[in-house]
Amino acid sequence: MREAFHDAFVAALSGDLAALAPWSEAPDLDARLSVYRNTVAKGCADALVAQFPTVAKLVGEPWLGAAAVEFARAHPPTEAALLTYGADFPAWLETFAPAADMPWLPGLAALDYLWTEAHLAADAPPLDPAALQALAPEDFARLRLVLHPAARFASFEAAIPSLWLALQAETPPAAFELGAEPEGLLFLRPALDITPIRLAPGAFALLAACRDRRSLAEAAAAALAAEPRLDLQAAFAELILGGAFAELAPLETA
Amino acid sequence: MSPHAHAGVSLKPQHYAEALAAREDGLWFEVHAENYMAAGGPRLAWLEAIGDGKPLSLHGVGLSLAADEAPDAGHLAALRRLVDRYRPALVSEHLAWSRRQGVYAPDLLPFPRSRAMLERTSANVARMQDAIARPVLIENPSLYLALKGHDYDEAEFLARLCERAGCGLLVDVNNVFVSAHNLGYSAGGYLDALPAAAVGEIHLAGHSADPGLGADLLIDSHDAPVAEPVWRLYARLIERIGPRPTLIERDGAIPAFADLVGERARAESLLRREPAHA
Repeated sequence: MREAFHDAFVAALSGDLAALAPWSEAPDLDARLSVYRNTVAKGCADALVAQFPTVAKLVGEPWLGAAAVEFARAHPPTEAALLTYGADFPAWLETFAPAADMPWLPGLAALDYLWTEAHLAADAPPLDPAALQALAPEDFARLRLVLHPAARFASFEAAIPSLWLALQAETPPAAFELGAEPEGLLFLRPALDITPIRLAPGAFALLAACRDRRSLAEAAAAALAAEPRLDLQAAFAELILGGAFAELAPLETA
Repeated sequence: MSPHAHAGVSLKPQHYAEALAAREDGLWFEVHAENYMAAGGPRLAWLEAIGDGKPLSLHGVGLSLAADEAPDAGHLAALRRLVDRYRPALVSEHLAWSRRQGVYAPDLLPFPRSRAMLERTSANVARMQDAIARPVLIENPSLYLALKGHDYDEAEFLARLCERAGCGLLVDVNNVFVSAHNLGYSAGGYLDALPAAAVGEIHLAGHSADPGLGADLLIDSHDAPVAEPVWRLYARLIERIGPRPTLIERDGAIPAFADLVGERARAESLLRREPAHA
């Protein structure tokens, strides 16, 4: 009997009022169920509007709220902690017809979500820069840099990061032109504050190699392959001083 | 640190700095546990700093104790980590459900208060208490829809739940007012029927009329100051059961911190009033 009730209530929320007939004869059942429907929809939409503030700045909260309600119908939350709700939202936006004339929107949403991940990630002290100065030449092939738990980065085929950064200003630009050159962005949170850092191709390749658990030597080679004129030492220094890494670790042997 | 019988307020991120600096005697803070289920970051650091100086209450909104399934193990583990880290003075959850077969609806859904559901809910509350190794308080929900299939009225169901699971009650006076109005029973009679000794915390919040059905249906919206009839029911409740930790709860249209603390001062003065029959 009780199993039947919970199923019936879910069905009634989805519009099948008859399912709830054994438990309710309220003539205004639909209006009363709407209170629950509205609370569920608002809970999802509020969480997503809060999760994607840069998207909200560009399209406005009503547009994003309406899109969020549609998204939530197809992708309802699977856990009660809504802090991380919306991981699928950036990809979903690519399929959302009303967003078709805003091809930069999924990328902005992806950066907002990476910001949230950096915000909520585990705390850890950043790698002490002195650790790298103490290395012997042979260490570069047998050690790897472990990314800081709060470090998040992505690259884009267009200048989405520049647009995202411009939209963080208190009075964002009224009009913009999306640059065509590829760009990357890195979020670092060595302590409590998040710093966004633009990534040139070399620095992005370096971080990606570290994420793939490759050696320092391989990471350096990947950076130079992506950007032959890169000042490798300066690139390492900027990332280390910014707090991109947590520690040096030996390579895992397969 | 226990809130004893002082008044507290909901803690919101936009008020962190003021909450940390606040010096009001007895002030305590309540947060939604789910908003702190993160691995790290500034939210957790703020809560730790604020909790160093003032009592905290962890209020769960998503454990789904009245579901027809056991509480989510991952959620219980996350709650345990919060309890271990923050040592809250109070931990609470709702007499409601929100989860079914892996899908979570961010709401507090109703159910028939049958014997079977008393058994199921008691077992779920016991699971929660086992998981965090301490007793919890269970809050009465706001109701919008009369259901058939009840074996108990809500006050009796809650009293039996306390006996079976060994939990206490969080009495949300606004929810009592809203439910009594929506379903047509006496809010005062409901409050009088609650077992005084089980009540460990009281919530006060604002409500609003339903945009569709108007004043016939009140919504527990938490976006307005506490209404006068709710203040009167509150005064009457603490006159009967004595002072209890009382929260001014606000989740929408968050006002300035000073406004919340001002509203909280009214509860604090009612709590500090000499009992009429002492």
